[in-house]
Amino acid sequence: MSTLYSALNASASALSAERARIEVAVSNMANAESTRGANGQPYRRRDVVLSSDPVQTFDDALGLTGAVGVKVADIVEDQAPFARRYDPAHPDADQEGFVAVPNVDVPEQMVDMLAATRAYQANLTAIGLIRDMISRAMDLGK
Amino acid sequence: MNDILADRAIMTALGRQLTVSVAKQSAAASNLANLNTPNYRTREVSFDDALSLAMPGGEKLAVTQPGHLTGEPGLASARQLQDADGLPTRRDGNNVQLDRELLQMTRAAGDFTAAQTALSAKFRLVRYAINESK
Repeated sequence: MSTLYSALNASASALSAERARIEVAVSNMANAESTRGANGQPYRRRDVVLSSDPVQTFDDALGLTGAVGVKVADIVEDQAPFARRYDPAHPDADQEGFVAVPNVDVPEQMVDMLAATRAYQANLTAIGLIRDMISRAMDLGK
Repeated sequence: MNDILADRAIMTALGRQLTVSVAKQSAAASNLANLNTPNYRTREVSFDDALSLAMPGGEKLAVTQPGHLTGEPGLASARQLQDADGLPTRRDGNNVQLDRELLQMTRAAGDFTAAQTALSAKFRLVRYAINESK
């Protein structure tokens, strides 16, 4: 049973990691035109770094391999150069009339968000299957 | 006496199937959780260990009489995982296939349900005997 619960924990950790990916993709899209951030610079695209994270159980102490979850290791800013757009009327335009706009590629963010949504759904399905197995195991005692 | 032994052997085998399918389910859940983790490699319950649990002669004790107990293979062996091979690797070094893992999970859940159904039928028979057929 403990293994079923650690599998459940692994799937649950994936749900929060995928949710974090969606949140970051959404904030990237929301700021696709933000030419002025907190530091006065245009917004930089942010990216989630995922790393696997073993679910801590008694099994580890026994040297058995348990379920492996996932965690958000870091959120990094994309250091790619800003795109330059000619718009002399813009308040943030430089002397030549160019505006530095965030390095956010909206279609790319949409694809990332779709991938995260699919992964979220897959993990929800997994949780459903594990839950069925747990309740099945409970039925043995009836 | 032999019937009781056979009964117990069946129950042990069914219990073992539960353990193996839980281990498979856990491996597939881990793989699904790491669907987007760079450099993560798909892990699976190794076929040899699952086979030695299912087949006689694997890790069992030798017997000279039919009534001798054969001993149980270590349950730990069913939970040693190995990297699955033959899967295409994506550009980020990850080789988890969504459909494969969902199939593994459905299959493991099915195996678990089958073993659980058979096991509860066995328990029902035992309870029937204990309650003097009432």
